[in-house]
Amino acid sequence: MSGNVRARRPASPPPGYGYPAPHKYPPASHGYSDADERREAAARGMGPTRAKAAAANLPGGLNITPGEWKLLVVILLVACSVRLFRLSKPDSVVFDEVHFGKFAGWYIKTRYFVDVHPPLAKMLITLAGWIFGFNGDFDFKEIAKPFENVPYVAMRLVPAMLGVATVPISYLTLRALDCRATTSLLAALFITFENGLVTQSRYILLDSPLVFFTALTALCFVVFSNEDRREPFSDRWWVWLAFTGLSLGAVVSCKWVGLFTIATVGVCTVLQLWFLLGDLRVTPRMWMRHFAARAICLIGIPIVFYMFMFSIHFAILANPGDGDSFMSSEFRSTLGRGMRDTYADVALGSEITLKHANTDGGYLHSHPHNYPIGSEQQQVTLYPHQDFNNVWRVLNATVDDDPQYDWANDPLEYIRDGARIKLRHIATDKALHSHEVRPPVSDVDFQNEVSGYGMAGWSGDLNDDWVVDIDHGSRGDRESGERVKALKTYFRLRHLMTGCVLFSHKVKLPEWGFEQQEVTCNKQAAKPNTLWYIETVAKHPQLHDDAEMVNYEKPGFIAKFWELQKVMWKTNAGLTARHAYDSRPATWPRLRRGINFWVKDGRQVYLIGNPFIWYMSTLSVLGYVAARGFLILRAKRGYRDFDNSKAMKYDAVLGFLFLGWAMHYLPFFLMGRQLFLHHYFPALYFAVLLTCGVFDLCTATFRPRVRLQIAAVLALVAIVVFARYSALAYGSEWTRGKCEAAKLGKGWDFDCSTFPHAYDQYKTAGATPHDSAAQATVGGEYGGRAPVAVNEPVAGAGGDAANQAGQGQANQAGAESSAAPALGAPEPGRDIFEEHPQKAMASKSVAADEAAAREREREKEDEEREKEREVSVVVQTPVVTVVSKAEEKVVVDEKKKETPVGFEGDEKTEEEEEKESEETTTGTDKEPEAETEAEVEVEKTYKKPAGPLGHEEQIADQIAQELYPEALDDE
Amino acid sequence: MSSDSTIRQRRVPGGSGQAGAYDQDGEDHVNTVYQNPRARSQWEQLLDTPRASMAVVGVLTTLAFALRFYKINHPDQVVFDEVHFGKFAAYYILREYYFDVHPPLTKLLFGLAGWFVGFDGNFTFDNIGDSYTENHVPYVGMRAMPAIFGSLTVPAVYAIMKESGYSTIVAAFSASIILFDNAHIAQSRLMLLDAPFIFFMSMTIYSYIRWRKLRYHEFSVEWWSWLFGTGFWMACTWGSKVNGVLTVVTIGIAVLIDLWDMLDWKKNGYTMEHFWKHFGARAAGLIAWPVVLYLIFFWFHFTVLIYSGAGDSFMSPAFQETLIGNELLMNSQDLHYYDIITIKHKDTKVFLHSHPETYPLRYDDGRISSQGQQVTGYAHDDTNNHWQIIPTKSLPDWHQARIVRHEDVIQLLHVNTQTLLMTHDVASSLMATNQEFTTWPREDQTRYNDTLFHLEVVDGVIAEAWKSKSSHFRLVHVPTRVSMWTYSSQLPEWAFKQQEVNGNKNPTDKSAAWVVSDILETDAPVDLENQQPKEPKKLGFFRKFAELQVLMLQHNAGLTASHPYASGPINWPFLISGISFWTENDSQKQIYLIGNLIGWWASVVALSIYFGIVGADLLARRRDVYPVPDEVRNRLWNSAGFFVLVWAVHYLPFFLMGRQLFIHHYLPSHLASAMVAGAVLNFVISETINFPVSIAGRSTKMRPSQYADLGIRGPVITGLFIFALFLMFMFLAPLTYGTPGLDGDTVNAKRLLSSWTLHFAAKVTDGQS
Repeated sequence: MSGNVRARRPASPPPGYGYPAPHKYPPASHGYSDADERREAAARGMGPTRAKAAAANLPGGLNITPGEWKLLVVILLVACSVRLFRLSKPDSVVFDEVHFGKFAGWYIKTRYFVDVHPPLAKMLITLAGWIFGFNGDFDFKEIAKPFENVPYVAMRLVPAMLGVATVPISYLTLRALDCRATTSLLAALFITFENGLVTQSRYILLDSPLVFFTALTALCFVVFSNEDRREPFSDRWWVWLAFTGLSLGAVVSCKWVGLFTIATVGVCTVLQLWFLLGDLRVTPRMWMRHFAARAICLIGIPIVFYMFMFSIHFAILANPGDGDSFMSSEFRSTLGRGMRDTYADVALGSEITLKHANTDGGYLHSHPHNYPIGSEQQQVTLYPHQDFNNVWRVLNATVDDDPQYDWANDPLEYIRDGARIKLRHIATDKALHSHEVRPPVSDVDFQNEVSGYGMAGWSGDLNDDWVVDIDHGSRGDRESGERVKALKTYFRLRHLMTGCVLFSHKVKLPEWGFEQQEVTCNKQAAKPNTLWYIETVAKHPQLHDDAEMVNYEKPGFIAKFWELQKVMWKTNAGLTARHAYDSRPATWPRLRRGINFWVKDGRQVYLIGNPFIWYMSTLSVLGYVAARGFLILRAKRGYRDFDNSKAMKYDAVLGFLFLGWAMHYLPFFLMGRQLFLHHYFPALYFAVLLTCGVFDLCTATFRPRVRLQIAAVLALVAIVVFARYSALAYGSEWTRGKCEAAKLGKGWDFDCSTFPHAYDQYKTAGATPHDSAAQATVGGEYGGRAPVAVNEPVAGAGGDAANQAGQGQANQAGAESSAAPALGAPEPGRDIFEEHPQKAMASKSVAADEAAAREREREKEDEEREKEREVSVVVQTPVVTVVSKAEEKVVVDEKKKETPVGFEGDEKTEEEEEKESEETTTGTDKEPEAETEAEVEVEKTYKKPAGPLGHEEQIADQIAQELYPEALDDE
Repeated sequence: MSSDSTIRQRRVPGGSGQAGAYDQDGEDHVNTVYQNPRARSQWEQLLDTPRASMAVVGVLTTLAFALRFYKINHPDQVVFDEVHFGKFAAYYILREYYFDVHPPLTKLLFGLAGWFVGFDGNFTFDNIGDSYTENHVPYVGMRAMPAIFGSLTVPAVYAIMKESGYSTIVAAFSASIILFDNAHIAQSRLMLLDAPFIFFMSMTIYSYIRWRKLRYHEFSVEWWSWLFGTGFWMACTWGSKVNGVLTVVTIGIAVLIDLWDMLDWKKNGYTMEHFWKHFGARAAGLIAWPVVLYLIFFWFHFTVLIYSGAGDSFMSPAFQETLIGNELLMNSQDLHYYDIITIKHKDTKVFLHSHPETYPLRYDDGRISSQGQQVTGYAHDDTNNHWQIIPTKSLPDWHQARIVRHEDVIQLLHVNTQTLLMTHDVASSLMATNQEFTTWPREDQTRYNDTLFHLEVVDGVIAEAWKSKSSHFRLVHVPTRVSMWTYSSQLPEWAFKQQEVNGNKNPTDKSAAWVVSDILETDAPVDLENQQPKEPKKLGFFRKFAELQVLMLQHNAGLTASHPYASGPINWPFLISGISFWTENDSQKQIYLIGNLIGWWASVVALSIYFGIVGADLLARRRDVYPVPDEVRNRLWNSAGFFVLVWAVHYLPFFLMGRQLFIHHYLPSHLASAMVAGAVLNFVISETINFPVSIAGRSTKMRPSQYADLGIRGPVITGLFIFALFLMFMFLAPLTYGTPGLDGDTVNAKRLLSSWTLHFAAKVTDGQS
């Protein structure tokens, strides 16, 4: 076939690629094959020297002697004793256990949550917790919170056991790479006694599983490559290839960092295929087989595994939870019992909830609170949770003088395109209203305020009228394009008088609007933000029982999976906030700084590596790069260093390990997000193996006994250094002196002042060496305030060191020691999904709210007074008012802390809440009344609504006052 | 086996001498035929003559000038970035200092052009749309400068292709992609940096190729001159726009590859001394020489700009005091103890402020405060911004001794409340990691130590006097070593939303610099010296240069604000969106920067074909099949490969940049892709090349020469393509020249891609009811 083509030697090699001459100097052990043997071997897809090699029992797969199995058992025991030592201490929450423990709880409660990491490692931890009876009640709220009824040891055992398992894997990997047993033993010991890996594997964190699966992948792939050299397509070849694929799936299902492992294996596989391609004895057909097998096992299997993990994840998290608000409505409808089917037909008189289509702001909402500026009418917002305050009634606007259009008895009239309607807020009996007043936040000319306005029994004015513009209906339901149907029709609401359309965007109202999303009427809106649809319709009295019901189309697994991936990606990229202990990649190999995990009772857990092993590994990497670079230059100048089989072998081994290090390290430089020291651990694993590879190379010519002695010395040094820092890994007892002595650099900021001066100080149980006082006084100095005793919130740890420091200072005692950096406090890693506190504003009774409103008005007056103060530069202001103001604020704050009402909008809880809030308000409201009465009077005069139909509104006010005198009494 | 037969059918011209054993019968014969230039088709012979070449390049250049100068006086208004570059030219003429992120060469040329045509500099180019005619600005002359450079780019491209060994028709093909490109034209007709920049870049490439062709005449005079020529144009490129660094990188990579080849002992057998000689020559011509030129540009820049101007505030006080008429120079005074002053934060421009209100006892997150008097940053004038400098040592009587100096320990008294500024180890209200700032009654000595601050003048020397306006300083708290700091974050209502001031634990933080804004009261005698205009101070050129470079880098990285016409790099080659430069509502005229769709898409197709050919060739060679003859292959790798390198280096780095990006950042890459398109066209229609193109030296092995022959196909295909280019150019011309005005429907018709955001589009009537 190639006979038709001119085959020539090229004149010059193409830039960048050398010519394949890999088989020029076969290692002596491979023997020699004659031409027939080679052809036969090639027909089976093997390289030229393999036929003999297979016959000569070329080591393929795991090739270790029975004696080494015993050694492995010993290694395993040592690893267990190092890694599991006092696993139950500290018995309080450490670092990111705050998150991962909490996630386990949510898994057990099957409440949906969102996290930036894939689920495998979290589910393993949960499994352990579940088996040992964790019921998910403990909230892992803050670092150093003592565990109560949590099988935390079992949960910690998962990462710990995986950490232990990493040790024999490192041994086997080096053995499979054809290193000596001594070298492999050294690697196993280095991995065992690496403080950082030990610390990280002892707590409920994801990095230990990640490192384990990375190591497992490396092992599987190395063994597979050995098999590939021996005999491709054998059973064992397939098994190891499949294992590599599974293991890859597991890495990437722990953390997305696992993609680097995939990249490592990918690069190696591409190289293998490239060499196979250059081997002319491998037919194209055979090459395709090689290619397909790798594609299936190294691409297909991981993807399937990864998706399978998510399907389990979705299967477990069947109920709504904190993660809901990140997902689309369709997604949410698959959680819990989902939404109940709703009636499809919308007619005059229907009770509906309106949802904004483009943002996840939620439902069109109103509550009995007024805008503090603009028209000062009732707020209209978007609110993400279901709530009775989201319910509106559709009324006919064309019938002018008939406030109560008798929808219950008149024939059913659907809402068609172009219909003129009013929307009545049922809870407060106000109409959706807009007028030429600028909205509170988006204060621009083309935006109008939207408010709730009106009175019970008053049909409202023309500014309440909206025209329905249907944008599109559902494809499957032609009718929905002509008249409004729940969930299917997307429409705009055009304001009849001003022509603007009802609009919302991702702009939050300030605190007075409970940080809900702003709703305006926009004359120049981008179309997507003006679309609304109706989510629920209550049963219209005229409808038959068998009327059409609809619900969200539940997304399939793929759709859910894909949506979640996008959310994770977006959030991951958004993780850019600084953390007190984050670090940039360039500092990792130098071990500039660790992470403070936990501080309590004179003990501390601080993530720091074993400096001996760490610096050795960094030096080996640098040494390798320098040596390899030098050899490349030499090769260019015509030296034949690589004609040596030993050089070939070590080049392959060290090259692979270096590739692993580089692939797991260098990509971090491209990441802008928050990074931590523990992101270096997979790279560190490869670097430690590389160190041992270098050791193997350097001691290649020594006698075994000498090699063993050198290894023993190295291991001993590593163990001594480990012991020196072990107190930080185990959170065990230490002294301040030893701690100070152990600091190697300025960046090593573990706080030595947490430790006592001598060990026996630990015996007085619970005594902390801190000067922190339970109670401190603030004030009481010259010329000013009376002393105030302040109860320190029992900060323990996790609390603010700064706070403590402040108190220390106030005490004027030990000022110096407390001037230590406030950075000393441990804080959990990242919190991105909790940084969106959905400030919920549950519906409340009108009465309670009016009280709150008055409260707010008073506040506003105070503010105004304050403003005046700011302008006039008066020196003296009565201190008393300031204090009382602070108190008021506390009261208001308490009120604002409302919990979101459950998904089903359970009305019972609402009622309870009403009562509660009523109680609190009546309790606290009375005292400042006398002071502000006069001002309330003033309020009333200028509080006049600023609608264009001012006269009619005044009349409406009068009617209202006559009808509802008690409302006035309240004031 | 069909693939094999197509490979065979390729006409393989000579030059395959080594593989004689495998040669087909005809090949030797073919060789002899093709070595004779007369054996080519008539068309090729006709076009290959120097006279024909001159004619072609003459026509192209004339056309280029015509297209770029056509109605160059329209619009007679400020367009897009003329706002900046016109202004800078005016500053050069007025000799007022300004600051910009780009190096000065092109702007100096604009200034020169303006001076030449008699622009007096008294027009400020404030807004897009300001009229030139009404303000008597000789803008045509200033616009002519980039237009000339833009026109000359076309023959430069032609010359590059010609020198690289492509036939006349291919060179014309590449040049006409630039010639008829609407984006290049629009960019050249206005006072913008890109046209000169692109011209310099193409000249760099041209010189480099000329130099490379002389590689068998190493160290000859010609060789040296083209080497330094490359360095010269490189410096010009770099000196006219920041992006010029990419051109430097391109040449750098090419030189490194070249040097790497030279190291190859098997191929060349050079000694290391020989290698170092080459290395030294390149270091001199391509590093040292351009750096010197670059410095010279800046030397001109500083020499011209000697008056105080808009750019003062970017620079350090030391720099500012070298400018005539600078405020610091005029008004900077020594500060004395007991002076009453206002203090301004350097970065956020707020005054240090305090008022009688106190911090709330307990913050929302449960932390508590000292309840001391608030210290905040406040942006407006207020008597609460007044502070008095209180000494901490006994003072002699004569006023010289009362000058406050670097490293003095001082107290600051808040005049209105008679309290002293202090900080202590209490967490500040917004940042738990920083210390709270508050004040303390003056009479109370209990917290005396906490009111002591160490005055550190930035870059101060021992006993340097503390000056108003010009001394940036930090206030470092003596007991706790925190420095007074503020940042743009508002305190809640209880502090009237003023800015938080707190103690930064990093005492040398750059953003902790403050400056004394005004001296309100002083009992120091007014010295007469201050009344007279002061002589500007001197500052070494290199210090000025270093300061400006650092600032340029920082500001370039800081350009991240979004812009309505900014676009991502991935969109550029496909012309997904352009930039609206200018609009005029009355006549519905607009200038919209958009490329010639045909030229750009052809370039993209060419690039993908190139990668396809190279990839397929690599794979085939791996299987010991050699589909492309070596000479052609080397041309693909070395010549077209160099163009691809230019393209990639000028394009790919933008993916990593966080700053604002616009489609005109792609123009240099587009130029390179036009050259790639020529090379690919040559390969696709004939696969013959002019070989060898390098000038043989004495010791060079003689190689059988061969000549490119496109036959009649070349001119026909190129002609058709140029015609299509021309039609598309004409179609888009109203958007490029900004005239004539277009009605709504025409605008809609010109909107070839829905993503183009043209103005004055007619409302699309929506079919939906």
